[in-house]
Amino acid sequence: MKARKAKNKKMIWAGQTGLLLVILGICELLVRTETISSLYLPAPSQVFRELFKLFGDGEIWRHLYVTLAEFAVGYGLAAFGGLAVGMALVLIPWAEQFFRPYLSALMAIPKVTIVPLLALWLGIGITHKISIVFLFCFFTITVNTMTGIKQTADNHLKVAKVFEATRYQTIMKVILPSAAPTIFAGLRLSAATGLVGALFGEMLASKDGLGNILVKATSLYNTAQAFAIVALVTVVSVLIIALIDWLERSVFLKWKSS
Amino acid sequence: MAGFTVENVSKVYDGDLPTVSLQHINLEVRDGEFLCILGPSGCGKSTLLELLAGLQLPTEGEIRLDGAKVQGPSRSSGVVFQDASLYPWRTISQNVGLGLELGGMRKAERQALVDKYLSMVGLQGFGSKYPHHLSGGMRQRAGIARALVSSPNILLMDEPFGAVDHLTRLQLQNDLLRIWQEERKTVVFVTHDVSEAVFLADRVVLLSPRPGRIHHIFDVSQERPRKREDARLLKIQNDIYSAIYDVKTEADLEFTI
Repeated sequence: MKARKAKNKKMIWAGQTGLLLVILGICELLVRTETISSLYLPAPSQVFRELFKLFGDGEIWRHLYVTLAEFAVGYGLAAFGGLAVGMALVLIPWAEQFFRPYLSALMAIPKVTIVPLLALWLGIGITHKISIVFLFCFFTITVNTMTGIKQTADNHLKVAKVFEATRYQTIMKVILPSAAPTIFAGLRLSAATGLVGALFGEMLASKDGLGNILVKATSLYNTAQAFAIVALVTVVSVLIIALIDWLERSVFLKWKSS
Repeated sequence: MAGFTVENVSKVYDGDLPTVSLQHINLEVRDGEFLCILGPSGCGKSTLLELLAGLQLPTEGEIRLDGAKVQGPSRSSGVVFQDASLYPWRTISQNVGLGLELGGMRKAERQALVDKYLSMVGLQGFGSKYPHHLSGGMRQRAGIARALVSSPNILLMDEPFGAVDHLTRLQLQNDLLRIWQEERKTVVFVTHDVSEAVFLADRVVLLSPRPGRIHHIFDVSQERPRKREDARLLKIQNDIYSAIYDVKTEADLEFTI
């Protein structure tokens, strides 16, 4: 039974790879025969060549570094800020009731609309992108933290009360661990949007970064390079999510995976 | 000495329509006894237990523990909750050691006590598992160990075996009696199961619902170990059933009038 399952899995994997190769092959053929102009759709072989070229001349590393740094700083600030603000709003009496309208109003602003304003205030350097990433992530993390804390089971709190836990102990040993899955859902969700924020800011106004060279490639009709950058950005995004998942599973939510 | 004096206690929940959960309860919980509080759902029996535990305070009247007024939770009573209420993010050992950890005991000291109580409840070897690995009955055993490990004088149990299957429940009852006899604690045990109450208790307090009042207190003086099919126990069971029936018809009458 088990062997058969493993065999099925292999078959499916082989099929998936095969289909991918067929699709790539068709694309290659369509471009090579000039059925489709390489201006619109580059041949897969061209995309790979562009990828190698990008890494070959080393320029790409600087742009990758800039984008990642913008993301990391903005996301880190949003994670700490969101966690702290979310906790404060729920755990300090009346705080949520008082600040709720303000929070809702700020959340309701479509963040992309203030990106040009931010450029006006902060210039088009790294601070601009960091603040965009922060804005894209902060509210999701705050709201998820609040939701997670509010979901703490009554009985779990009663147990702590029976053992005369201090307020600090109750927060550290009951409320936060219990809220961790919801908080992590927020962290995962906002990681993807945060990267989008960094790229979007770069595409709009910047001097470097992956978004910057993507716009350049497109405006120069270097479609193959644009495809290569899109592929690279996708890989980066997947890796960031994988990193957060790994952190969640191996450090904070060990009990869930075991 | 470890016993409660409940004096003229009432509990009213505020709201648009204030509900009287308990009314004029007078009760003495004696040192070392096994007391069952029995009643249909909504009669306030869990409220009474939470009042004893200091998790809630009475609206009226006073509860004293060994002469001192109960004003909040106290280390001298351990509580076992309805659904075990273990923390899913902690291993069984970490759950059982919770009270000691919060009290500031160091890990090495904790471990010995945790192991002792894990084996007392029959969970030796399960310390490193997480709650979701265990069956409902085993989780409740861990819940009992968690309450016992801080060596309270009193064990307050809120329908602890309500959620486990019948045969497991019988086994848990036997084990609880064994632990009670080894540890000589005062036990207050809330249940809605008449046969469970009669099999376990020295005295059974029958509450009547809405508002919760003490309807009658039954003495169960049979020697232990008891046999479930003992005719005298069954006789007490029947008395309780007919008392419950009386309570019901009274309530129905009130509704018809």
